[in-house]
Amino acid sequence: MERRELLKIVALTALSPRLSALQEIACHSGSGSPRAAADAKLQFFTAGENAILDQLMEMIIPADPHSPGAHAANTSLFADLIVSTGDDALKKQWRDGISLMREEASRSSLAEVLQKAAANEADPRTELDRFFILLKRMTVDAYYTSEIGIHKDLAYDGNTYLPGFSGCTHAEHDE
Amino acid sequence: MGKGPEAFDVCVVGSGAAGGVMAKELCEAGAKVVMLEAGHAVPHHEFLSHAWPYELRYRGLRGEKQVPFYQGDVARSIAYSDCDDVTADRVRVVGGRTLHWNAVTLRYAPQDFREWSVQGIEEDWPLTYSELEPYYDRIEQMIGVCGNDDGLDILPAGKHYLPPIPWRCSEHVLHRATNAMGIPLIAVRKAVLTRPFDNRPPCHYCGHCMDGCDVGSIFTTPDCMLPKARATGNFTLRENALAREILLDREGLATGVSFIDTQSRQEQQVKAAIVVVCCSTVESARLLLNSRSPQHPNGLANSNGVVGRYLHGHLGSSISIYLDEFQGRKPFNQDGATDHVYVPRYNQLFGKHDYAGGWGFQVNYSGYMFPFQAHLLPGYGAAFKETVRKMQPGFLSFGTFGKVTSGSENYITVDRSRPDANGIPIPVMRFRFSDNDRALWKAAKQSMTEVCSHMKGRVFESFGSGPRGFASHEVGTIRMGNDPRTSVLNGYCQAREVKNLFVTDGSCFTTSSEKNPTLTIMALSLRAADYITAQRKKGEL
Repeated sequence: MERRELLKIVALTALSPRLSALQEIACHSGSGSPRAAADAKLQFFTAGENAILDQLMEMIIPADPHSPGAHAANTSLFADLIVSTGDDALKKQWRDGISLMREEASRSSLAEVLQKAAANEADPRTELDRFFILLKRMTVDAYYTSEIGIHKDLAYDGNTYLPGFSGCTHAEHDE
Repeated sequence: MGKGPEAFDVCVVGSGAAGGVMAKELCEAGAKVVMLEAGHAVPHHEFLSHAWPYELRYRGLRGEKQVPFYQGDVARSIAYSDCDDVTADRVRVVGGRTLHWNAVTLRYAPQDFREWSVQGIEEDWPLTYSELEPYYDRIEQMIGVCGNDDGLDILPAGKHYLPPIPWRCSEHVLHRATNAMGIPLIAVRKAVLTRPFDNRPPCHYCGHCMDGCDVGSIFTTPDCMLPKARATGNFTLRENALAREILLDREGLATGVSFIDTQSRQEQQVKAAIVVVCCSTVESARLLLNSRSPQHPNGLANSNGVVGRYLHGHLGSSISIYLDEFQGRKPFNQDGATDHVYVPRYNQLFGKHDYAGGWGFQVNYSGYMFPFQAHLLPGYGAAFKETVRKMQPGFLSFGTFGKVTSGSENYITVDRSRPDANGIPIPVMRFRFSDNDRALWKAAKQSMTEVCSHMKGRVFESFGSGPRGFASHEVGTIRMGNDPRTSVLNGYCQAREVKNLFVTDGSCFTTSSEKNPTLTIMALSLRAADYITAQRKKGEL
């Protein structure tokens, strides 16, 4: 993300100085965890749209022997949050995109439509192509910021307090 | 009859790297100092640096971790008119950008103060490296800098560094590449503690430097300078105090500062015998341009029209490579302290070029939590997911910080028809890169690609179609100089037209080298503080 765009987003979410930043921002503990699904209430997508998104996102990042996929990570719920708090143009992009996917899938299957949408990923030309870019980006963002993505799939073991930094201890990396 | 404004010896406007040094030094020298800071303090326990993404409403994707540092409407209250791809990073919080930086601290080289004499471009500074060297020594020892004396003319060093940070595996691989090209790779110099120092603990290597250090291991003004200022009993901090204009007497001398209390939106004033402006490059120019009077109709100290002009900074591009030899490796904690190594300027080792200046590379200044390659790899499905995971341990990235030339055609002005939420006209930026900048950027890109060619891995470049600026290193809008026609300040950061007005943040830079400016800002501030103290003792100020 370009820094100017980031600063615009920060401006839109800037807080009153009287409120604790932690209270305002860090209030959605566990939103990326399986147990959050039961309590989630869709804020923009219909149940039908969410069901389609959930399937598509699971195809993009599926469960495998190593780790759960996008469905278990509730990525469609995160998409719902982001789109519901976005502008009208974003909302229209998503609603139109899902509708297009559904319509195309009525003639084949969601899996085939996704494959078709992804075919021109390097050079998107149609509305379907462009929606795939949006969908994939959201799936990646949602999955790899979730508990499942960070801890189970990538097994990231940072963000902790180390008494020291050992650095490289491998002889094969010596120059 | 009501009480008049409170009176102080010095009013320091801004609490960042420059303001912190000024407040501490002047208080310790016996001056009564008031510091006006537009933002408010954020205590360590409110930093979100260690928050997991899934603990944040938007998973950090909307900049939530940095929100505490961009208070009020600061991010919205600027306009860009006729600009290339540049952004001014205007933080608003007690501590300024010292709460939101990677703490790389590099000395300028002797030649960096002599662009005209050495390269025939721009202008020389009104001071030399030799004159600033003692202040570099003092400030490094004051704040705690880790690193080495690498014996490089292009990057002078001090003699009292804390132990350097150990290198990551990927940085040793990078070293093979830089060795093959005959260019240096050194331990970075950073204001990050690698052992206890100054009653502050050493770094715990969480990789969240830019999100705010919640233990005080990175130099910040609130953790290092303000406690020392407070200890003298001479220091007063006014938070949520957005300076509106500098007040003058009939002789045209500064008498204090009018500010808006951003909580009550009421205007208040402080009186001071000396005013030191440390608001950062854009905001300092904004303050002077908004300080109009019959004696200074174009803004304070601006009869030559130079205030706001010569805006410049750093240009940048970045590249990442996922090293083959780490593919599929068991993940290990590489967070560290962001930059552990640095590639100092090296193009001068390879003869003359069709551009002036150079660049350095900062390395591994991003974290390891998010797999950026997932946004760059084509495809989807099981194979995509597996590839993303296996590539992650091999992440290595570096970015160019390149010299940008200063020119009067690039400037900050103010738009009086567009006030911010506090009724103060907003700054408007005009900036275009020069032909020299573009040629340098092109050469830097080629060099980055060449470095990667000496490593085995999948490369993703993020060059864009042109240079981007300013990497939060904007400088130059209230420049010091030898020529009164093209400068506002003398070599002590003193305004020529208003002898009790000083400006010591990045806006005072005559020119910029490729090196990060913060250490030089602090050294200049220290030198100006000594000068002010000496002048006060003589009764000149």
